[in-house]
Amino acid sequence: MTNGKERVNKGFVSTAVIGSALVMVILIVITVWASRKTVSTTDEAVAAVSSFYLEAMADYRARTVNNLINNNFDHMEVALNVIKDSNISSQEELRNTLGNTKKLLSLNRFALVDDDNVVYTQYTTYMGGSRYDFLSSDKLSERVVSTINLYGSSKLLCLAIPTDGLVIMGKPFKACFILIDIKDISNLLLLEDHGTTYFALYTKTGGNLSDTDLGPIKAGNNILDKTKDHISPAAWEKLLADFEEGKEGNLTLMWDGIQETLCYAPVPNTGWMMAILIHENLIHEQFREMSESNHLVSRILIIVTLVSMGAFSSVLLLQLRRASRARLESEMENSRLFKNMANSDSLTGVRNKHAYSEYESKLNEKIRSGELKDGIAVLVCDINGLKIVNDTQGHAAGDRLIKDACDLICEHFSHGAVFRIGGDEFVVILQDRGYEKMDDSLAAINREVEENIEKGKVVVAVGHSVLTEEDEQIHDVFERADSLMYKRKQELKAMGAKSR
Amino acid sequence: MICDMKKVGKSALLLSAVIVFALPLSSCSEKVSEPPVPVVEEKASSAASGAVDFVHELDSYEPKKDTYNFYFTYKIVHPWWDAVALGMEEAQRQYLEKGITITYEYMAPKAASAEDQKARLEAVKNAGYDIIGVDVADEEIISPVINEMIDEGCKVLTFSSSDAAAGCKRIAYVGNTHNYEDGVALTEALCEKLEYKGKVAILVGSVGAPCHEDRARGAKDTLAKYPDMETVAVEYDMDSIENAYDLTLEILDKTPDLAGIVCCNMSNPVGAARAITERGSDTVIVGMDHDEEALRYLNDGVIYCLGVQDCFSIGFDTLQVAVKIADGNLPGDLYPEKTNEITTIIYKEDAAQMLELLYGEIL
Repeated sequence: MTNGKERVNKGFVSTAVIGSALVMVILIVITVWASRKTVSTTDEAVAAVSSFYLEAMADYRARTVNNLINNNFDHMEVALNVIKDSNISSQEELRNTLGNTKKLLSLNRFALVDDDNVVYTQYTTYMGGSRYDFLSSDKLSERVVSTINLYGSSKLLCLAIPTDGLVIMGKPFKACFILIDIKDISNLLLLEDHGTTYFALYTKTGGNLSDTDLGPIKAGNNILDKTKDHISPAAWEKLLADFEEGKEGNLTLMWDGIQETLCYAPVPNTGWMMAILIHENLIHEQFREMSESNHLVSRILIIVTLVSMGAFSSVLLLQLRRASRARLESEMENSRLFKNMANSDSLTGVRNKHAYSEYESKLNEKIRSGELKDGIAVLVCDINGLKIVNDTQGHAAGDRLIKDACDLICEHFSHGAVFRIGGDEFVVILQDRGYEKMDDSLAAINREVEENIEKGKVVVAVGHSVLTEEDEQIHDVFERADSLMYKRKQELKAMGAKSR
Repeated sequence: MICDMKKVGKSALLLSAVIVFALPLSSCSEKVSEPPVPVVEEKASSAASGAVDFVHELDSYEPKKDTYNFYFTYKIVHPWWDAVALGMEEAQRQYLEKGITITYEYMAPKAASAEDQKARLEAVKNAGYDIIGVDVADEEIISPVINEMIDEGCKVLTFSSSDAAAGCKRIAYVGNTHNYEDGVALTEALCEKLEYKGKVAILVGSVGAPCHEDRARGAKDTLAKYPDMETVAVEYDMDSIENAYDLTLEILDKTPDLAGIVCCNMSNPVGAARAITERGSDTVIVGMDHDEEALRYLNDGVIYCLGVQDCFSIGFDTLQVAVKIADGNLPGDLYPEKTNEITTIIYKEDAAQMLELLYGEIL
């Protein structure tokens, strides 16, 4: 019964401990997973936001350039109409008209070209065939947007429109054009957050047009050449193809340990690519700081939870232990009581026959082992006249007689072990002091018994014997003592004591 | 003046000798009256950065008029002269900022032609231009025309790469005064590279163009100095890259063991390099000028070296001198009778920097 309860307790404690550990492990795993998920989600969000942001910037700036081109084309058409309506009859008048028109419409380096590729500007007249590729054809059929690399590294955007039917001073003209310094376009497009976000204009072959740094890619460097060693071959091939075909796209590259996000979009009608680059690490750092802050909170949460759970578990275990101990003590007490009840005589309170048997067994073991050889005596006591009292005065009187007898025996053999082994029979085991005082005690009880005969009080016949070397067990001594007790019983009968 | 950045010491010695001994033999030797030209090593600190000077400011001369009108004519429509034009345009812009308006025409035929140039000069000599500038297409044909114009009261200067013939009455010259020496320096570089032995072809530009002819003469004289060097061909491409390419292929067909080619103008080295590359030949090319394609061939090692002239400075100085002449000033303290512009010989290691300097392209 007790073992069953212990098993239940142990099971409860084990379940509590394992359950708590599991809860803690699950809590930690979920927290770590949630943190990592947050980081990866943040990274994805950053990449998405970066790309979206850059694509929007690239598109916006590409449209800005396109609008600039279209506006200039519109102005050129107006200028051309003004010139067509003018009656120009000399070189000087032509120059003045070009100058006025240029000033009026804010056109940069406005010029006319005749069929011999002679270029007429406000101040100069020169041969344009070797300077401008768009003049290589005899006749222009549509608007032309071209890029010019001039000696001295100046890069210009050239916008040309055909001038069908225009004849000045008898010369047929085939085109008018303007030149816009690409540096001026760069200034128009400059990003406000310089230092973190960059832009640059490139040709289809990756040549830098805007003379601006694109982050680590310096002004003048070919973007295709410079990115080759920083991205995978497949990504570089795609970049190459996108530039060649004028497709927009984006990519991420590592440069000196810094992650850069590059976005590019074609500038309509120019053959240019607008590239925007952002140091993604900057965004990441900001998000990382937030993530680290969240991590710190999570770690603190985990630690606080662990400590709380640890403390709670400790208190719980202590209380369980205390409860177990109390329950154990209670069980022990009950056991002791049960044991006492099992070994005690309920009428007299002395030990019963069962207790005598256990006691006898222990003494026999000592005798067998040689530990006990002498110094022990067995006294067999029997109440005279108990049956008569029971029969004539009732069992209550008989019980009182038994108690009186017991009191008498215990009084005289207070240093011995007293057992009630039958209805009217007691056994006293004397050792040590009780053994030493045995003769005196025997003499005293016999004297009082003999006096009690006359007084009508309890009479007890006592026979005794001591352990001898020939004895193999206590029962041998008991038998001798029992035999002597009967002899004494006869003596007492003779003295007038009741015999039954 | 020539600047060979690879062998500065050697070139300086060579140039000193050339300037001292060869210049008196050149066509306009008797007109040299300007102060001694600065030594090569001092002017250019490095090949690329010193070869072309794009930073110019007008000198302190105060023009006497508010407006000027000039006419310039040159040999052929070609990027080399576009580079000169850009220098002129910069000077014109700076004058405009000072309130002085300069208008000009800058004209040339599509194909090099002294007769065309002569016709142009005849047409404009009485058109009231303050100055007529001439890049002489053929000194024998054009020099008399210039003399006639001077006699009729025109103010004529010569500019760019070619001066007029000796004894010409032109007022001043702005440009390359050392075409012969350029030819010598390029050919010396080639000979050294070939260890002074092998067959060499010479490609020239336009027939009669002084600058081209002088360089070719310098090349021939240099090759003649070395007994194991042989001149196997002298061909004129008439300033056409396509012609230079075809001529090179023909020469290679005739002389498969051609060791080197001396190119005397801007189109020569481009055409030659295309042909050499196509044939997979290891013929060594030396040539003139700053064509972007030629610079790329230089960077790739197809061309061994290039003589780069400072075209921008030629244009800028031409316009400044023209204003002074238009005001009636004669050569002297205000400007020299010959304004010399440098030529710098550059090699493979200088090509990338030169491309960046001239075309803004960083390799």
